[in-house]
Amino acid sequence: MTIASARDRRVSTGIGQRSEALAAYAFIAIPMLLFLVLNIGSILYALFISVFQWNIRSGAGAFIGIANYQNVFKDPIFIRAIQNSVYYAIVWVPLTMAVGLFLAVLVNQKLRGRTFFRAAFYFPAIASSAAVTVLWIFLAQPDGLFNGIRGALGLNPIFQLFGFAPNQNWIGDSHTALNSVILLNAWTTSGTFMLFYLASLQTIPGEVYEAAAIDGAGSWQMFWRITFPLLKPGHYFVATVAVIGALQLFDQARIAGGTTGDPANALMSVVLYLYNLAFFKFDFDRAAAVGLILFAIILTLTLIQRRLFGSAPSW
Amino acid sequence: MRRSVLALGASIVMIAGACTSGSTPAPSTGGTTSAAPGGSAEASGASAAPSADLSAITGTAKLSGWQSSDAENKALQDTVTAFQAAYPNVKVDYKVITGDYPTVMATNFASKNVPDLFYVDASFGQPWADQGFLEPLDDYFTKYGFDTSAFFPGYLAPFKGSDGKTYGLPKDGNTIGMAYNTAEVQTAPTSLADLVTAATALKGKDGLKAPICLNPGLDRGLAFIYAQGGSIVSDDGKTNQVDTPQTKAAVQWYLDLFKNGIGMTASDMGDDWCGTSLGKKHAAIAFEGGWLDPAMSSTYPNVKYAWGQIPTGSSGSPVTISYTAAYSIGADSKDKDQAWVLLQFLAGKDGMTKWTAGGVALPSRTDVPTPTGKDVLVAQAQFAKPGSGFMKGYGDVQKAFQDAFTKEIQDKTYNADSVIAATKTAVDAALAS
Repeated sequence: MTIASARDRRVSTGIGQRSEALAAYAFIAIPMLLFLVLNIGSILYALFISVFQWNIRSGAGAFIGIANYQNVFKDPIFIRAIQNSVYYAIVWVPLTMAVGLFLAVLVNQKLRGRTFFRAAFYFPAIASSAAVTVLWIFLAQPDGLFNGIRGALGLNPIFQLFGFAPNQNWIGDSHTALNSVILLNAWTTSGTFMLFYLASLQTIPGEVYEAAAIDGAGSWQMFWRITFPLLKPGHYFVATVAVIGALQLFDQARIAGGTTGDPANALMSVVLYLYNLAFFKFDFDRAAAVGLILFAIILTLTLIQRRLFGSAPSW
Repeated sequence: MRRSVLALGASIVMIAGACTSGSTPAPSTGGTTSAAPGGSAEASGASAAPSADLSAITGTAKLSGWQSSDAENKALQDTVTAFQAAYPNVKVDYKVITGDYPTVMATNFASKNVPDLFYVDASFGQPWADQGFLEPLDDYFTKYGFDTSAFFPGYLAPFKGSDGKTYGLPKDGNTIGMAYNTAEVQTAPTSLADLVTAATALKGKDGLKAPICLNPGLDRGLAFIYAQGGSIVSDDGKTNQVDTPQTKAAVQWYLDLFKNGIGMTASDMGDDWCGTSLGKKHAAIAFEGGWLDPAMSSTYPNVKYAWGQIPTGSSGSPVTISYTAAYSIGADSKDKDQAWVLLQFLAGKDGMTKWTAGGVALPSRTDVPTPTGKDVLVAQAQFAKPGSGFMKGYGDVQKAFQDAFTKEIQDKTYNADSVIAATKTAVDAALAS
């Protein structure tokens, strides 16, 4: 190789890298532009709206600084919405992750008909959430199927120990409404989490299990010592998506509890509160403040999760 | 992952961003713009000498609203056809707004792309007027000699803005009456004491989950508060009147209906609303409006029931509450005069006669014939007070009452004090705003 040919190759390689880079920038330019305008732009616009008195028809009025943020925290219904959303996240996220992981491990076995089971477990996730919620309301009403079955099975005395009447109105009672929606969403979303975990499970090399088997590890030990720790990237991804989804609870609460989060604010979520402020009270500036507060909460929780679970998955 | 987090977080804020995509137009100027002055009187709804000729106005009026049934659509189409025959120079472009009506309208207001004439529920009358979304109609009344005195006062009141101007004309109305299963209740109770006596006699009867189906809120409870001399605010809307002995006694009386097993919510009966409870014979008495009739005839045709007035309480006067919706002209409408031509017909005597003849609505005017079988509900309009839209922030007041009331029922404590306290706080906040 002569000095001249080596220089030519470097030059041609440099040109190739530049053109590749240009092509890459061209490919990401449009989505990045959309991201900047629609996402980052919306955040900045919401921030702008939140510090003014805002009328959707006439635009910005007087500058009011952080008054909207202060007023929101003085509203007991907003505090209740935060409490509900946090409770929902604390109960729903681990429950749904556990069910999703259980289903994923189940359908990851070499079972007959596992494709059918994968599809069956995932099916509630692709059904319309409105339709599923309405179905759930019918199942959970006082003379609905759930109360009928527990009565037929003779389980009412057990339920009565916990204070539940034979004709318990699960969604209409403020003491049980949110837990009913948690169960509903655990059922509908666990299929999606199953898929996420299934993808993670299949990245674990089979040799690890073979080595463990040679060392005499049982299936229970394999799960806790191999599968569960090696699913750490999967846990991080699922937990992050789950917490974000939990804090964005809206459609099921809206359908089951109406716009006012009935009964007695039991189904008032932060997003439903925001929606009411914007579209029923036309208080768009305060709604923007609520949106930004929610954004801050989600971002903080995600950063905490990142610290807990370590670095992000490599994919 | 960082980008994912940012994108997902940003998408939440986009909810707020999307909700607030406003612009900065000049405020509405109000009034009319292009109608030719002078001319003949309008037949419908006009009593004073008009000063402008509606027949000189030509063009298209875009009409929009919600639609709850095919029967309602047919009744409106028939009414529009009658309008086209009377006013051939103004074409009507009617579009139903599907989905969540206030949400869709909010986006229309933000984009200044509003129908010329549209429905406004009484609960939105004042807020939409105060936000500048609606055109004041007073100049039209003067210009075209339109007389509003034919409307039942309770139906017109919710569409008065804070500035005293009128922002809508009630397209129809409904009062809350007492529907009772005639197989269970032979004679309509005329007093609250009679109501309790009749309901107590029905307790435990086969099939009945409770004698009366009740809503745990002011949407029905307000009628009983009024019946016992109580109130939420003073007539001028400026003074909190929740914490009075009469109001407290009325709320306690209403709670006691639940406590004594006389009343139960539809939800606790496993029904979606009290019409279903009446139809399924879970309850013998329900307090509803004219919307009950089509539901009963279509779903429960074998259940015989009759209408009675809301029983009289300690106030000694007949009283109930009413609900209505109006036709309003958009402040950003591009064809306001055409919209007015259509509005004065639809809310006038002839248009409303045609509309209510369709059997889906009751008249909001005193000079329109009462549809068959609706005598009680229409007669109550003479003394009915608005069930919504009579004060600013009433939605928050209703919510505070209902949340506290529901808690008292579900905790089985049945104490009016907490309901009164929560409602009083909400009324104070609403009045302060």
